Amino acid sequence: MRILIVEDDAALAHGVSRILESEGYAVDVVARGEQAVSAAAQERFDLVILDVGLPGMDGFEVLRRLRARSERVPVLLLTARDAVDDRVHGLDLGADDYVAKPFAMSELAARVRALIRRSQAQAGPQVVHGPLLLDTVARRAFLNGEPLELSGREWAVLEVLLARVERVVSKDAIIQAVANWGDELSLNAIEVYVSRLRAKLEPAGISIRTVRGFGYMLEEHKEN
Amino acid sequence: MTAKSLRGQLLRQLLPPLAALLALATVIAYFPTIEPATAAYDQALIDVGLALGDRIQINGGRYSLDLPRAAERMLRTDRYDSIYFHVAAPDGADIAGDEGMPQPPPDETPADHVIAYNGVYAGKDVRAVAVLVPCNGQRCMVQVAETTYKRQRLLRYIVLSSLAPTVLIAIATLLIVWFGVKRGLEPLDQLSEEIKVRSPRDLRPVEAAAAPEEARPLVGALNALLEEVAEANLKQQRFLANAAHQLRTPLAGLQAHTELALAQPVTEACRAELEQVHLGTVRTARLANQLLALARAEPGGSPEAGLRPVDLRQMVQGAADEWVHRAMDRDLDLGFDLEEARVRGDAFLLREALANLVHNSLEHTPAGGHVTVRTAVRAKDGRPLLEVEDEGPGIPPAERARVLERFYRVPGTAGTGSGLGLAIVSEIATLHGAEVEIGEPRAGGPGCRVSLIFPAVPER
Repeated sequence: MRILIVEDDAALAHGVSRILESEGYAVDVVARGEQAVSAAAQERFDLVILDVGLPGMDGFEVLRRLRARSERVPVLLLTARDAVDDRVHGLDLGADDYVAKPFAMSELAARVRALIRRSQAQAGPQVVHGPLLLDTVARRAFLNGEPLELSGREWAVLEVLLARVERVVSKDAIIQAVANWGDELSLNAIEVYVSRLRAKLEPAGISIRTVRGFGYMLEEHKEN
Repeated sequence: MTAKSLRGQLLRQLLPPLAALLALATVIAYFPTIEPATAAYDQALIDVGLALGDRIQINGGRYSLDLPRAAERMLRTDRYDSIYFHVAAPDGADIAGDEGMPQPPPDETPADHVIAYNGVYAGKDVRAVAVLVPCNGQRCMVQVAETTYKRQRLLRYIVLSSLAPTVLIAIATLLIVWFGVKRGLEPLDQLSEEIKVRSPRDLRPVEAAAAPEEARPLVGALNALLEEVAEANLKQQRFLANAAHQLRTPLAGLQAHTELALAQPVTEACRAELEQVHLGTVRTARLANQLLALARAEPGGSPEAGLRPVDLRQMVQGAADEWVHRAMDRDLDLGFDLEEARVRGDAFLLREALANLVHNSLEHTPAGGHVTVRTAVRAKDGRPLLEVEDEGPGIPPAERARVLERFYRVPGTAGTGSGLGLAIVSEIATLHGAEVEIGEPRAGGPGCRVSLIFPAVPER
């Protein structure tokens, strides 16, 4: 897995690259937007971590050029300005996620993992989450290598949660995603599917947190 | 400097010339009218004098007046005035009539033998004529006089009839000025009303088209000032954004390296020091964010002109991720109770206010406790509200007003707060016309609830 870090602050770039390297990623660092554009043109990266506030060509412009080449490399924006405007602008331009400075390294690492996983899921038919494996083409699930029986709706709910690991997914969002698959669902029905999923996944150490009054969050699987 | 009333000043300046004009108009009307009128009255007296002169008879050097009693009665009869006459011989001896008549001015030697003059008779002002009639080769003098009642009446009539229209014109002029100034200044009143109801963050130029021609320079100057202020604000915003960037990036680097250092095998003592450094970094970052938020909450601190419709529920949903992890790290149950609640506001600042409330609640609630974010529309008055309640120690009623002040912290509280959180919430609330209410959780029990109660948004 290869990651390009575009950050002009040497100390921060160095810190981030060391942490990601310790997680087993190959990391390249450039300090200027122009360098980032040419680096991305020459090499294939699995993720670009892009600072918005670069001198010269800023992060938004770099993002625009990357997307203009119809390259689907995932981009994680680092923003230091007032986050709302930057976030909206960045997401409009095709960024996949953003982290506001300063950030905890654990948070950044989690976002990086989630983005890479997501882009792989889009690229390939298999989604892996710890001991869980979803074969989206064959529509079959495996837990610790054993086949896992999932109803159609359980599958749909799990897919939504897996796409946003470590992010809170609102019940409304789950209903919208699942309703595509079947007929209308109540909030209570969602609770039923989630509790069934929990019963099947928790023995393997995969937990779905309830966020009271809001939704659910599939926690990152922690290797023991 | 005392404020000068434009109206008062105009009236003061107008009054003297108007009064002068009035007097002049009266004089101009008076003389051309009074001359022929008094001449006619004088002529009547002269006619009487001539008639009396015809009645003088000379009988061998003796003069007498042949005037039957009926004729004299007729002669003396007048509706308004008393009429007197006297006939004198050329040597001045009385022939007939009233004695003691005022004599004509001695110097007058009139060509047509008639003198008209004023005098006093029997204690009254009279107008008199002396007619010198041929009388035995010489001239006898017939004087006829009448009291001036008729003339006075005529005079009054002339003055009044010429004064009345000019006075009316003067009054009309003053009224026109009075109301004209009021009406003329109405656009200025509208202008000041427009400026008065503006949000202090609304720095758009004032509509110049509605202002009267004379007020255009004022509006122009005002707009130039607004533009300068807006420009200064924009500069300040850029400065803030840059400052934020310049501050946050090295802090992020510092945080990254302390985390890296903490991941190394180090001695316990070193670890404790590193943890302090890390905590300090996080706190400094938070303080930087808060100071920037405070600056943005100041009037004119935000580049957006005015407030936009914001759904509090959506805003909370969009921000939930930020706190859920922190709550889980602290083993707190962060929950939501969200209804659609529309307000007019600045989404960034509302989010900042909420972030501060949630941060406080997460900070002060013991592990295992509950924190709830709620958006709702109050049933009793339709006011939208945004509130966060926790199961922490709460804020004693006596402290509730003070905790909204900058840098104030409730004495004896643990934690690492700067004392800015609630001040930011309070300032953002003020900017939105919202009230901050501090109380207990709605379900009762110990804890703290901070509610922002917004003004109701009228249905469209």
